Amino acid sequence: MGERLEEYSMKILVCIKQVPDMESKFKVAADGAWYDTSELAWRMNEYDEYAVEQAVQLREKEKDAELTVLTIGGDKAIEPLKKALAMGCDRAVHVVDNESFKKEPYQIAGIIAEFAKDKGFDIVFTGMQSQDRGSAQVGILVAEMLGIPSISTIVGFAYAGGAIEVKRELEGGVKAKVSAKLPALVTCQLGLNTPRYPTLPNIMKAKKKPLDTLAVADLLKVDARQSTEKMFFPEKKGGGMILEGDVPALVDKLIAILKEKTSVLK
Amino acid sequence: MKLLLVAEYRDGKALATSNELAAFAEKMGAESVMMMVGNEASLPGYAGTLYLADVAACGEYNPEVHKQLVLDVVGKENPDMIVFSHSSYGWDLAPRVACALKAAQISEVIAVEGGKLVMPACNAKLRRTIACSTAKTVVTLQAGAFSPAAPITAAPQVEKISTSATGKVEFGGYEAAPKTGVDLTKAEIIVSAGRGVGKPENVAVIAALAEALGGEYGASRPVVDNGWADHNRQVGTTGQTVSPKMYVACGISGAVQHLAGMKKSEFIVAINTDKDAPIGEVADVLVVADLMQFVPALTEKVKAL
Amino acid sequence: MEEFTREIYWNVGHGFMTLAPMYLLFIAAMVVLIRGFLERIQVYRLGQPVNRMDNWQARLVDAMRMIFMQLKVARVRRPGMWHAIFFWSFFLLFIGTTLIVLQADFTNLLWGYKFLKGGLYKIFSLVLDLAGLAAIVMLGMLAFRRYFNPPEGLDTKKDDAIMHILLMAILLSGFIIEGARMAATEMNTANKFWSPVGYIFALLFSGLGEGGQLATHRVVWWLHLLMVMGFFMLIPHTKFRHIINTSFNYFFADRGPKGKLVNINLEQEDIEKFGATEVADFTWKDIFDGDACTLCNRCQERCPAYNTGKPLSPKKVVNQISEAAFNTPDASLIELIGKDALWSCTTCRACQEICPASIEHVKKIVDLRRSLVLMEGEFPGDEVMTAMEQTEVNGNPLGMGYAGRGDWAKDLDVAVLEKNADVDVLYFVGCYASFDKRNIAVAKSFIALCKAAGVNVGILGKEEKCCGEPMRKMGNEYLYQSLANENIEMMKTYGVKKIVTACPHCFNTLSKDYRDMGFDIPVEHSTVFLANLLASGKLRVKADGLNCTYHDSCYLGRHNDIYDAPRILLQAAGATMKEMAKNKDEGFCCSAGGGRIMAEEKLGERINIHRVKMAAETGAETLVSNCPFCLTMFEDGIKGAGFEGSMKPRDITEILAERLVA
Repeated sequence: MGERLEEYSMKILVCIKQVPDMESKFKVAADGAWYDTSELAWRMNEYDEYAVEQAVQLREKEKDAELTVLTIGGDKAIEPLKKALAMGCDRAVHVVDNESFKKEPYQIAGIIAEFAKDKGFDIVFTGMQSQDRGSAQVGILVAEMLGIPSISTIVGFAYAGGAIEVKRELEGGVKAKVSAKLPALVTCQLGLNTPRYPTLPNIMKAKKKPLDTLAVADLLKVDARQSTEKMFFPEKKGGGMILEGDVPALVDKLIAILKEKTSVLK
Repeated sequence: MKLLLVAEYRDGKALATSNELAAFAEKMGAESVMMMVGNEASLPGYAGTLYLADVAACGEYNPEVHKQLVLDVVGKENPDMIVFSHSSYGWDLAPRVACALKAAQISEVIAVEGGKLVMPACNAKLRRTIACSTAKTVVTLQAGAFSPAAPITAAPQVEKISTSATGKVEFGGYEAAPKTGVDLTKAEIIVSAGRGVGKPENVAVIAALAEALGGEYGASRPVVDNGWADHNRQVGTTGQTVSPKMYVACGISGAVQHLAGMKKSEFIVAINTDKDAPIGEVADVLVVADLMQFVPALTEKVKAL
Repeated sequence: MEEFTREIYWNVGHGFMTLAPMYLLFIAAMVVLIRGFLERIQVYRLGQPVNRMDNWQARLVDAMRMIFMQLKVARVRRPGMWHAIFFWSFFLLFIGTTLIVLQADFTNLLWGYKFLKGGLYKIFSLVLDLAGLAAIVMLGMLAFRRYFNPPEGLDTKKDDAIMHILLMAILLSGFIIEGARMAATEMNTANKFWSPVGYIFALLFSGLGEGGQLATHRVVWWLHLLMVMGFFMLIPHTKFRHIINTSFNYFFADRGPKGKLVNINLEQEDIEKFGATEVADFTWKDIFDGDACTLCNRCQERCPAYNTGKPLSPKKVVNQISEAAFNTPDASLIELIGKDALWSCTTCRACQEICPASIEHVKKIVDLRRSLVLMEGEFPGDEVMTAMEQTEVNGNPLGMGYAGRGDWAKDLDVAVLEKNADVDVLYFVGCYASFDKRNIAVAKSFIALCKAAGVNVGILGKEEKCCGEPMRKMGNEYLYQSLANENIEMMKTYGVKKIVTACPHCFNTLSKDYRDMGFDIPVEHSTVFLANLLASGKLRVKADGLNCTYHDSCYLGRHNDIYDAPRILLQAAGATMKEMAKNKDEGFCCSAGGGRIMAEEKLGERINIHRVKMAAETGAETLVSNCPFCLTMFEDGIKGAGFEGSMKPRDITEILAERLVA
């Protein structure tokens, strides 16, 4: 492995995405191929919050580290970047793309990989998936394009001496222990840590941190392999009853239904 | 159309999700072959060829090696689609295979409608369909979305495969989930508390209904994450997958991960103030009410029966 | 016949041998007194500057009134009146002594002028005798209360013993001197009856013989002088200092508006620290408050957190800060006071409202919270951090999609300013009335009342954001200012002329806190607005009996002194209202203030259940409130206390709307 040099400087990258708040009332866009973006509240993808927090924790431990946060999106996407800077990232990169939602995971990964390929990042953090598209592909794809090992769905993270030890979350609450040497990429699952609330001094400092703006055209070197054909609301399942009214009446109705349709009430 | 179904093996057992892969193949009206990195001692039920790599040699978690094995089988069988479960194994491995094959990947398919694969979006509030422009496609299936009428019992024809590829990550074993005696998978009636209960004390209201009905209480992930209920009460992809006679979802919106854990329940009742909550998708009855008013009233009536 | 008078310095001597030591002692006492306070001033100055000299004439007048009329002290009747009478008596005695010194050592000595004679002297003597008696009786009663029948929580320390004993000794010795003198000089005159108490003491000395009387007189005279000088010296070093500090605290008091917090100037880029963690972060007034405190315990007695098992005592907080200032100024006040205590405060102001020393309790707690939130990103629980984040994303702590904020009014034909800004009144709905099912009913009732009265009312709908109050009280000044700026911008853009809100927290914030941010649109609470409509005849309701009790919310009540308008409305509604024991300015908080509506109550007994039980004691069937937080807390509290069948929580707006005359 070789000894750590005095000036060894760790370079960390964390990739985030701005998504709509899931409590919003969604509407299908006019072209039927995505959701309507008006009247939505926006926020950093929840999985990415854990990624940023872990990246910042690592950066705080490694004194000579530099942490870059990157996002691809329109003008509004600057907000989650600012939050990431306020949480403790050193610099931000905004790949400006007003139609990022039209791109598919392979293209997104391609843009990120194109940016990262000559920067020598030692470790890359991403969220495990996005709350809107939920394809869970970008993180792993970036790693494959960069030719570095990747581990998904981590709920535990530790770094020591050029290697990481993580815990993957599996079904049934079981965890799998995995380790790898850097450079590597990890995708973060909910519950990995507790994302910090930005302190006011850090919010103020963030205003002065470097924010580079890049044009997406310069980084998009791959073709799309898929596109969203249609986005729509699911049909209401027939047979599902909706009961409304006063609580006492509802209770009686439900008990009647249960007696009729199930064997759970004797 | 030909599908390559990638089955999973963990901790000494072939996982039953292989049945779902087979059911999907049937739904697609396609021929298929299956592969697994596992062990002869535990084979999935499958009527067809099973390419089997030895897990002892390859490792249970070794994505680069598993990827190579899949690519090898793809080279042999030339399938149009490579199908995984959308599981911690599947979503980790599928993108690697897709990237190597220059194939588009469609994640978390929940249905096939009019020949098109349908996926959820935005916490299952929406659906979308995809148009792919690649020769091959990689697909992951949501847990429980496709089920065979009955578990497959046929014995597969095993063909052994191996590879000299090596991986850069090291698997260090499992850490079991802490057990405290509740096995929801055995409960016949489960009443679950979701975020809608609002406060930790209110979980007791849910538990009271469960007790009155003679069942167990469960919880959705946010409730467990908040510490309001123990992890062994969690129903969902990272908790337990249950299929009781009756499942009562209280204040649960129906996020995809939770639905995956209880969809197969025989009779589903949802109690929610939101008429349009995604849980309504799977519920047989959706009671639009404030659970803190409805549940205690229901408990009283049930006790009096 | 000679005019009634007395020879000052009789028996003691008016010469150098008396005056020299007397004045030397006096000078020494003054030096000790002044030095004592100078030392204390050095410690006050550890705090940040704050201007409490503005408008000094008004300050002076108010201070004089509060000192001399004992207005705040006497608010708690029994011990308050005893202290007041004691104070007035002692003050009279002080004036009396001063007049004697004035005559004996100045007017008579230098110009031979005496005024304490004849009729004036008779009154002088009588008044002082009665004052002395009153002082002794009051002091005795106060001592009995403290030592034999103290209210729970009263701290009795060494200082108290010193004060009681010394003052009693001074008073009694005064009468001994008078008695001895009268025994020797006045027993044969009719004038003795003008000093009735002295006369009684004189009777005690009548058997002593003149020599004994003179000796007693002389010795006790010097003793009395020494004790008084000792008293002066002790002022800065004991609780006696409240004579000076509390009086000055009236002068330095926060002149309002009530409950308005200080804005942090977030434009200032060089501020490195926000909020308070140690003594130096507080103002000199915060440290001074500790010296003005006499540990009377009235604040702690009324604190809803303290009374339900939380580790918060407002009295303790105030004193811990000044104790740290004097002993361990570098200490972490957060650790000293404790986070659980700090987070438990509901900013109900019961402490500050009743404090007879004009101490400011609430701002100290908020300053400490500010450091936790703004410097550490810490909150009382994850649920509060989540609520803050949801407010950042959607403009409300409930996490509801912002675009649906106006949905409650969809079918009500209410103008939404985005489409139609031509309204007379903007109804600022607030988060709970917009999104919470129970409170939406109140918003709808308010609209019904407005329409019936012909008021052209509009709402901001999805353009309205949380007023920021719970966030501000929790310490998140940054989030509060962001929300405030956005709301202010929005309302100014529409040229809003008048705002009415049914939420006392929104009302308090818009009408006071927002003024610091360039917002000057008039704001009214719905109860006042409706009472005016009723009075003008534009709104008509029919009286339809209602058996109820009324809860004065903290933010409408203590924070804004609005007690009458809601009662007028209830009367018009035909309610038979039975007041709770703790009502009006003594109302007991519902628990949701201070940002705690966002938090879980984990310690002690639930405050809302405590209050609901108080309501149940009145036997009322309905618990009427005027605030969405109170309504929410009472819905929960009534269930928690098991009163579902017997008491119903309702908002006053709903009650009126039900009684609209068609």
